[in-house]
Amino acid sequence: MIQDNADEAFTADLLRGHTDTIVLGVLRRGDSYGFEIYKSIREATGGAYEIKEATLYASYRRLVRDGLAEAYWGDESQGGRRKYYRITDAGRAAFRTNVATWVATRGIIDDLLGTAVPASTKGNRA
Amino acid sequence: MNATDPIRRSTDVHRLLDEAFAGVELTPEVQDLKEEIRDNLLFRVAELEASGIEPSDAARRAMAELGDVRAIVDDGAVAPVPVRAESASAAALRNRVRPKPGFVVRTVLLSIVAVVTLALLVLGLIGVMPLGTGTLFGLGAAFGVALGIVTADALRQETTANHPLPTRRAVAFGAATGVLLAGLSFTAVVVVRLELGWLILTGLLVVAAIAELSYLGATQTNRHKPWVVEQQRATTFSNRFDEDPASAARFGIYTAAIWTVAFVLGIVLGFTVGWLWAPVALVGGFVAMLITLARMLFGEARRKS
Repeated sequence: MIQDNADEAFTADLLRGHTDTIVLGVLRRGDSYGFEIYKSIREATGGAYEIKEATLYASYRRLVRDGLAEAYWGDESQGGRRKYYRITDAGRAAFRTNVATWVATRGIIDDLLGTAVPASTKGNRA
Repeated sequence: MNATDPIRRSTDVHRLLDEAFAGVELTPEVQDLKEEIRDNLLFRVAELEASGIEPSDAARRAMAELGDVRAIVDDGAVAPVPVRAESASAAALRNRVRPKPGFVVRTVLLSIVAVVTLALLVLGLIGVMPLGTGTLFGLGAAFGVALGIVTADALRQETTANHPLPTRRAVAFGAATGVLLAGLSFTAVVVVRLELGWLILTGLLVVAAIAELSYLGATQTNRHKPWVVEQQRATTFSNRFDEDPASAARFGIYTAAIWTVAFVLGIVLGFTVGWLWAPVALVGGFVAMLITLARMLFGEARRKS
């Protein structure tokens, strides 16, 4: 929020490409519903970045369509129905692959930009 | 917790949501999305109100944060189904994963071990080979362990169509399979060699294994790769009986008629030609029923296309 708009847009663009993986990462810890997922992402970044809710809804649909997550309606029902998401085995596998790809990409970009932190990032390169 | 939530009574969110969805065709899918968004909005509004924002402002702000509803609807609802879907074999070839050589060797070796132990077990049980009861139990256990490992190993592999199962689940599947097979072998040994009272123990093993397998089956989630899911969606055959209950009812009546005729014909044949020929009528009835089923279930669809 202290960054100016252009920087923010740049970060948001980069992050948006990883929305599905980020959501899978949240679901890996347990079944969850829209607002809870939104909140845990917001809290994980310390409020520095909020994924737009519209982006999240699109991500849920993609995940369900590709069989990486499954949706089910919870039975708490005073005000409305709550839709929960559960990660599937395919989703877990996709998460692992995506994380490995990201670590490799990060290593390459760090090398190219000369931003590599000698000990930690180099070691992670796949 | 919803009951105590004051915001559930707020009508602002519901009104704003209805406005946002005005003009959007409410297909079941969109209706689901609307309910999902409603639930999440109510949470967000409650959160905003807790931070001291006026209820009406909170509702408007939550709606604004949500963004354009139409964009969300269009994004998924119009799920661009490719006009000409890739053929299943082409998709499989493109996504082909070669099995790991180590896995193939392990599976072949363990399968041979399993076949040999099973053969020895059977030979021992029928008395062709003089094997002690303890040896027979050992063979049963080895048979279970070998196939249990094969099962767990296979589930741990990535295949062309499937992602690997997480290690814990794969091991649980393998253990349950192994215990089931060992339990069944032990049951056979007990029946042939020991007092039948021991069947309680082997029965427990088998029941425990079946319970574990049912638990695993019930909690299994999708492990197909996205391309397989895509293929399955593209090739859902329409089932005539689901679409047209009347034809299902007609098929039931036809079946009753066919079997009545077949039975009567069978009795007539039995009394006149000889009882050896009576089953021919029943076989004829079965064939007639299958042909009727095939014609009624799939015939119409072919004519349509």
